[in-house]
Amino acid sequence: MAGVRLEHVYKKYPGSDKASVTDFNLDIQDKEFLVLVGPSGCGKSTTLRMIAGLEEISEGKLYIGDRVVNDVAPKDRDIAMVFQSYALYPHMNVYQNMAFGLKLRKFRKDEIDRRVREAARTLEIEHLLDRKPKALSGGQRQRVALGRAIVREPQVFLMDEPLSNLDAKLRTQMRANISKLMKRLETTCIYVTHDQTEAMTMGDRIVVMKDGFIQQAATPDELYNHPVNLFVAGFIGAPAMNFITGQLTEEGGAVRFKATGFNVVIPAGKAQLLRDKGYIGREMIIGIRPEDLHEEPVFIEASPNSVISASIEVSENLGHEMFLYLNGLGKDNVIARVDGRSQLQEGQNIKLAVDMNKIHLFDKDTELNILEA
Amino acid sequence: MNNSRLQQLQQLMNAPVESVTMTKAEWTKAGGAKLPEAGDHLQLERLFLLVTKTESNQLQVLRAQAELTPLEKELLSWLAKYGSMSKAGNVSASELERQTRRLGEWLQQSIDAGEWRLEIPERFELHHRLFDGMIPFLLMSEQAENREPSYGELEKVLRSYLSDDMLLIPLREREWLILGTDRLLAEVETNEADLIERGETKEALVSLATGLHQMLTEEWGGDCHVAVGEPIIPTESLVYAVAMLRETIYLGRKFHVGMHVHMPWLVHLERLLSGIPEPVRARFMDEMSGRQDLFTDPETVSTLDAFFAMDCNVSETAKRLFIHRNTLLYRLDKLKQEAGLDVRSFNDAILVRLLMLLYKVTKRK
Repeated sequence: MAGVRLEHVYKKYPGSDKASVTDFNLDIQDKEFLVLVGPSGCGKSTTLRMIAGLEEISEGKLYIGDRVVNDVAPKDRDIAMVFQSYALYPHMNVYQNMAFGLKLRKFRKDEIDRRVREAARTLEIEHLLDRKPKALSGGQRQRVALGRAIVREPQVFLMDEPLSNLDAKLRTQMRANISKLMKRLETTCIYVTHDQTEAMTMGDRIVVMKDGFIQQAATPDELYNHPVNLFVAGFIGAPAMNFITGQLTEEGGAVRFKATGFNVVIPAGKAQLLRDKGYIGREMIIGIRPEDLHEEPVFIEASPNSVISASIEVSENLGHEMFLYLNGLGKDNVIARVDGRSQLQEGQNIKLAVDMNKIHLFDKDTELNILEA
Repeated sequence: MNNSRLQQLQQLMNAPVESVTMTKAEWTKAGGAKLPEAGDHLQLERLFLLVTKTESNQLQVLRAQAELTPLEKELLSWLAKYGSMSKAGNVSASELERQTRRLGEWLQQSIDAGEWRLEIPERFELHHRLFDGMIPFLLMSEQAENREPSYGELEKVLRSYLSDDMLLIPLREREWLILGTDRLLAEVETNEADLIERGETKEALVSLATGLHQMLTEEWGGDCHVAVGEPIIPTESLVYAVAMLRETIYLGRKFHVGMHVHMPWLVHLERLLSGIPEPVRARFMDEMSGRQDLFTDPETVSTLDAFFAMDCNVSETAKRLFIHRNTLLYRLDKLKQEAGLDVRSFNDAILVRLLMLLYKVTKRK
């Protein structure tokens, strides 16, 4: 097992003036499950492919363990890859598929057999060992692809959107299976996805990327509760965080945030920070998670300084929770996540209290989270 | 033994012949020797069994539903033992490399001269190995120069993946022709008794090429492009096959960035578009101006790719994208509103398909 370290890594494609990955610095701990997440084109797959050795590193150093592997061929990096397409070898049965890499490396027959059967048992595919890939379902094929990687007992697993070819139900199931498996194997794993649910549920640590740059590398909890900028705040969480642009003013010793439909008092601690940083009188963006808007009377009574009014344009009841799409707050729809048992109707005017302890405040120009800076 | 040889043998013997796999235990149980070798044979009433190849515990056995004369049995046994039935040939690795390089140079010269229909002359040592049905794969490596492996290294990996009777022919720098036996097609089937339908051949070829690409990426080391063609008799049409596969990779890389496995039967339209003069293409794109922004939205592009891949079938596309049918209809309606092109209409679908292909090329300029 080994950690992976990227030092000032860049990827520039010939003929392109812009780098696809810029100054990527990261220390991935041994046995860590690290997720690279971001929108299409953010550089996450390119980064993984550089670690795999499938893309040249234009600049910087890549370490696996203590060894610089920039010029080491993929097969000699002691890594195992599972990709989105997970192509199996169609003319070989499951056993042969899993044993192939070991056979090629001239492992002893009994050792190959032990590893294949152990991996098959772990993945619950022992009964499929004699089958050809054509006779397998999508989920079973995916498990065979994982098995092929596991038998190698590599220092690092690299996975690039391995679940994206599966339907939603199977994806959820496999997500849990992979998490369990990686915990059991105690091997470093670098996992690429564009799906933030996968990222949040699987990763020990998540790296959010955009335009080739690391935006933030942190635990799921840290990312959700302390996003460093507007992009991370908007990317992590579903429904996404609400952003409202408004003005900060100071009236009678209280710092207020004012926008269409908003006139709320900023808590003292945060207000002092804003004063110190010279934000009073300036435009800024407030970020509120949908679950931090409360319609319960108890909460509204307890928070007289942060009550807002809005009308419900659309309500989506998922049973255990309800999403309210609200009009009259800022320029765009604001979404609130309330209890599924709420008897709220579309078109209804309601009052909501903002949990001001959980708000985020962003600089309008730099888009950085002022409270985290 | 590959399919065409089996058919020839079947005709000669005037009896059904097939190649099957048996374990050594099964062979012994049937009355054979405990340590069988190539050439061993058994006559079980009207069933003749002949070992053509041994590999660890597995035996490749020729099974003919016929009662053979002692002379016929001995001749077949002799062939299995010493002939090309069981071995690819007894040439050394370096000699094989020399022979394949010589053939590769001739192939290259023939293509350069535009002689695509030339047959392989008998003067080549490998000529006798090129009469059987074989699947042509073209491999183009994208590895850094200092990592290019030796012929022997690549050949060893490919033998493990395909079979011992494969041939690796170096063409140009980082470009190889791989010939695999057409028997592989039957091996893709789940049940070896299944006969592969013509329609399924392409599907099997795609899976073999995709597997080959994956294997090379993982086990050989590095990114590469693989094209596969339908089985050929190499002596007759190898030059044509190489030229066509080379063109396929060129078109695939040009029109389908990100794809690494290419098939000639999937790039007909691309070939046609590639032949259109640049000013004509540019004019078409200009006339469609204002609609090109469609292709910057990944969701729209993936929706349209899936829609065309599923032959414009709404239900099948929705299933493939794991979305509700109504969601797909909403996306298509949105496209119609924004671009004025309804992909459910045949004429508009053609325009959008052409726009998408050309956009991928012009976007990179």
